[in-house]
Amino acid sequence: MSAAIELTGITKRFPGVVANDDVNLTVEQGEIHAICGENGAGKSTLMKILYGMQGADEGTMKINGEVVDFTSPTDAIDCGIGMVHQHFMLADQLTVLENVILGAEPTLTGGRLDFKKAETHLREVADEYGLTVDVHQMIETLEVGERQRVEIIKVLYRGAEILILDEPTAVLVPQEVEALFENMRELKASGTTILFIDHKLDEVLKISDSITVLRHGKTVASLKNEGVTAHELAELMVGSELPTPATTSSTVTDEVALRLSGVTVLNEANRPVASNINLAIRKGEIVGIAGVEGNGQGDLVDAIIGTTQISSGTIELLGNDITYESVRKRREAGVAYVPEDRQHEGLLLSSPLWENAALGHQTQAPFGSNWWLNRDGARRQTEAIRQQFDVRTPNIDVAAHALSGGNQQKLIIGRELTSNPDVLIAAHPTRGIDVGAQAAVWDDIRAARRNGLATLLISADLDELIGLSDTIVVILRGEFVATLSPDEVTPRDLGAYMTGAALQNGGVA
Amino acid sequence: MTSRLSSMPAWARWMIYAASGVLLLTIVQSISDTDRLTQISTSREMLRWAVPIFLAGLGGLFSERAGVVNIGLEGMLILGMWFGAWGSIEYGAWWGLLIGIVGGMIGGLLHAVATVTFQVDHIISGVAINILAPAITRYLSEEVWDSPTTSPQTAEVGTWDVPFLAGGTIFGWESPDWLLTASKWEIWYLSDVAQLSRGLLRSTSWVSIIALLLVPFTVWLVWRTRFGLRLRICGEKPAAGEAQGINIIRYKYIAVIISGGLAGLGGAFISTELSGLFQGGNSAGRGFIGLAALIFGNWRPGGVLLGALLFGYVFGLDLKDLDGTASHAMLLVNAIALAGVAAWAFSRRRVADTVLASALGVGALCWWLVADTVPSWWSNTLPYVIVLLVLVFFSQRLRMPAANGQPYRKGG
Repeated sequence: MSAAIELTGITKRFPGVVANDDVNLTVEQGEIHAICGENGAGKSTLMKILYGMQGADEGTMKINGEVVDFTSPTDAIDCGIGMVHQHFMLADQLTVLENVILGAEPTLTGGRLDFKKAETHLREVADEYGLTVDVHQMIETLEVGERQRVEIIKVLYRGAEILILDEPTAVLVPQEVEALFENMRELKASGTTILFIDHKLDEVLKISDSITVLRHGKTVASLKNEGVTAHELAELMVGSELPTPATTSSTVTDEVALRLSGVTVLNEANRPVASNINLAIRKGEIVGIAGVEGNGQGDLVDAIIGTTQISSGTIELLGNDITYESVRKRREAGVAYVPEDRQHEGLLLSSPLWENAALGHQTQAPFGSNWWLNRDGARRQTEAIRQQFDVRTPNIDVAAHALSGGNQQKLIIGRELTSNPDVLIAAHPTRGIDVGAQAAVWDDIRAARRNGLATLLISADLDELIGLSDTIVVILRGEFVATLSPDEVTPRDLGAYMTGAALQNGGVA
Repeated sequence: MTSRLSSMPAWARWMIYAASGVLLLTIVQSISDTDRLTQISTSREMLRWAVPIFLAGLGGLFSERAGVVNIGLEGMLILGMWFGAWGSIEYGAWWGLLIGIVGGMIGGLLHAVATVTFQVDHIISGVAINILAPAITRYLSEEVWDSPTTSPQTAEVGTWDVPFLAGGTIFGWESPDWLLTASKWEIWYLSDVAQLSRGLLRSTSWVSIIALLLVPFTVWLVWRTRFGLRLRICGEKPAAGEAQGINIIRYKYIAVIISGGLAGLGGAFISTELSGLFQGGNSAGRGFIGLAALIFGNWRPGGVLLGALLFGYVFGLDLKDLDGTASHAMLLVNAIALAGVAAWAFSRRRVADTVLASALGVGALCWWLVADTVPSWWSNTLPYVIVLLVLVFFSQRLRMPAANGQPYRKGG
């Protein structure tokens, strides 16, 4: 039997970059094949080529032994290939059924949708692979794990026999990952070939039959998952030793920099999204908040920054009450902020770097004064940030969107740290950036910690949270449910606390 | 109560809404010194005002459900007015409507080319069309009719009386006019219902009838067909549609052109059915009010119609209300409606909304008590005030298409 997918000599060039350079990939029928590599290694480009979203400049593709040439996803779908994107391709205000049938709608005469037939077929597919979902729900009411299931059903509904999953675990908590892997095993048992992208090596080793490693757009290894260790894989991926987030010795002092007392935040419907939060962060301390997204950590961050008003409680900065201060006053008083979504909240994408570097400090020297911007001062300071934080850019006049994600993040970290803040609120500071930039960000945060910065760290990367934090608190449904020491906790334990499983089982708190 | 209402078929629910609306008007009328709130001419004028507003709003629905904000509806409506009049004069009434639709579609095509192909900001393109349309029609009028502002008399498509209810004829036989009979009984409420209904059912323009039929047709087309599902994905998450091989750009084009066509029909209705000639400025901002109706109606066809009828009622009432007494009585209606909103907000423990609605309601009540008449600018302002209030109190229930107004790039 011929291989399900056989790619030979795939090359794809973008202006100034070779994204894929002579990549070879062979995926056997009915196996789970992992593709790993750092961000920017060319994994996504390769998948886009395989799914017909982009054309390769060179190379041949064979599906089930036949040479193919895709010009659009439709061609790939016709060949039995289906892709689940990392960012879900689902419309929130359409039902599960509408989302699934989109583009492959069964119709009656006159273009009328045959909802009955669609539902029957959807249920057949879902039952066959053991995927449960309520077909009439709106997508906006579903959990992340359920949405992913809908995406998988959507692909299977079109009769896909080859499934591409683009970083499927990035958005899931450990327990959901477990459920996903169970689904993947069932799919494999019924003959589906699965190709998935991941850079979490323990997951790769746990689920895959074969592994292909990409680095700088090239295939560096293709191996069976037999006797391979995470360490070997990691070295293949980065070509050297892996950086770790671990902090060295404790620098925690006695002086409290940020104190929240009884803070409660209400949402628009007057429901508490964060209730009675007590938290003290001392100088030189990093407090990590672990929690499944949407459990109130974002609202808490907004409350500290001042973009949300709290309904009760107080917030103190170095002993001064800042509960009712404006965002600007808080920032001027020494609160720095690395927002969760750097493109929406952190940067003005079409503005030059030096303007971006002044954001939030526009009223302070050297960027400006109350009324006026100081262009020269701002530019000098931006140059300093660029050098000190290794922001790789041709010059400081390019627009922020021209920078890679890692360099954008380094600019933001530099902007926030050069103002010598007392408190740093860092929300997912290394999300979606490559290993090199990640290590740089970790170094920066560690250095600031040594100099007495109090940091509140929110991260979905549990290794990062455990590695960097001096203390970890777990937030669940808007409440702190556990305080843990990073020395004694594993990502698995944390996952259990985050979903409430550990508490239900009477776990230590 | 609410659950029983929502389990009813849609038509029954609408009948109940309408009946309670008329009841409110009747009660108000019996304690104020006007009889115009429930007169036959009031509902006739309401419908005549509402039809172009509704058609523009429905045009907005098609466009915005496909993710393109269409503030150019006013301009497309004006194009429809001119081309409708010209076609009507040159080729006859029905051709006039058709050519009016085509005129609006040209405006829609222009908007689609600008926003979809060239990624121009939707608002800027719309404003440009709104500026362009009156200028073009003025020029064309000068060229064709030797007058920059007015055209000769146009042809009409005619009207229809509903048999039995409003005395229409069937194969030459004149049926009884039951609603006329009922309105002459002068029974409280019943005769008011009869009068208002008769205004809708007698001498009704064929265009109005077509417009009303567009409500169920749009529901069917947009929510029950493949075309509709694909159109909606353009406004909700185009990338998801593209990933399934749907040609988003094509659907956006079709939607915006349909949008222009509907606004064009509304314009043709104004010039051929309402004024009987093309006259610059006769659109009276109905394209904009159509947008307001779209928001009021939560981007749903039935809601757009309700909004159009509500605004049409306010305008229509004002038209024959030379002494301002009817508009004065409307203040009491406003006060009662605001009291209803306050009660609703209170039941949901929304303190700020309760206070605001009560304050505004008391304000309207005081104005009603103090004054005898209301200046006519108030009626022209009221629709916008209503939309603002809807936005203030019900914004959480309004659901604009998620990707509405966002530029779309293929492969982006």
